[in-house]
Amino acid sequence: MSPSERTLVIKTVAITLLVLALGGVAGGIAFLMGGYYNISATSQHIPVVYQVLTKGLEQSVRFHARDIKAPPLKDKGMVQRGAQIYQTSCVQCHGAPGIAPQGIGMGMQPVPGPLVDANRKWEAQELYWIVRHGIKMTGMPAWEYRMSEEQLWETVAFMQHLPDMKPADYRAMTGATGAKR
Amino acid sequence: MNRPLCPSWLRRPDRLLAIGGIFLLAACSNDSAVKPVNAPGDLDRGRMALTQYACHSCHVIPGITGSQIFVGPSLEGMGSRPMIAGKLINSPENMMRWIRYTQEVDPDNLMPDMGVSEQHARDMVAYLESLK
Repeated sequence: MSPSERTLVIKTVAITLLVLALGGVAGGIAFLMGGYYNISATSQHIPVVYQVLTKGLEQSVRFHARDIKAPPLKDKGMVQRGAQIYQTSCVQCHGAPGIAPQGIGMGMQPVPGPLVDANRKWEAQELYWIVRHGIKMTGMPAWEYRMSEEQLWETVAFMQHLPDMKPADYRAMTGATGAKR
Repeated sequence: MNRPLCPSWLRRPDRLLAIGGIFLLAACSNDSAVKPVNAPGDLDRGRMALTQYACHSCHVIPGITGSQIFVGPSLEGMGSRPMIAGKLINSPENMMRWIRYTQEVDPDNLMPDMGVSEQHARDMVAYLESLK
């Protein structure tokens, strides 16, 4: 390959990449400004998008909670107080054993989902981090300014018991009526 | 040298973009415009209703985007199962009853009464029956 040919190849590659990049940006802006993306909560994500976002969420929580040290969570009073907090602040979106979330929690995208498996999915300090800081763009609020440090951990302490609870156990512990909706 | 710097194949990315755009649009359409009552169960409305009563937050449901979650059993093949939750014979009527009055059928089951309307439940049943 002669030097002039090489220059031509390099130029062609560079210009190709530039055109592609510009095309990509232009396409992206057109898609964004055209409003074509359906932002409604009734339209589901494409599975691969959902999986990537979920993975990112999990990794972010694990990374940011890595240095938090959970206090002992076994105290009965702590769990009991956590149950009350759960019934007041969490059940409306996440539901509980035998108790449906309210409509607000069912119509969200992403759906808040149950917490009866939370302690299998997350370490205690990760649950604490999520409750305290919330999760951007999911509807999960930050409770840091609404709950004391003790209350945050009490909520986590209660969640450790959720997997073993029957609907009747939950009602007994929280005084929830579990009424027909 | 007077060769064109931008040969014809370079314009293809634009075409590709357009094709990609059409796919994206197709993936983003809504189908919740119609709100019938007393209509026969409809598969597409059923799929939407299952998402709007948060069924996929506890169940893996084929055809609905969600997590690999097993708080409730996967609903794969629900249409060909003999029983519902080990309590009821699998029939459309029983599935309606289970979806709407879960806690009445089995008070020990973690699944709550989700407040599903009759029409929404009928549509859900149509969808679940299609899962062979």
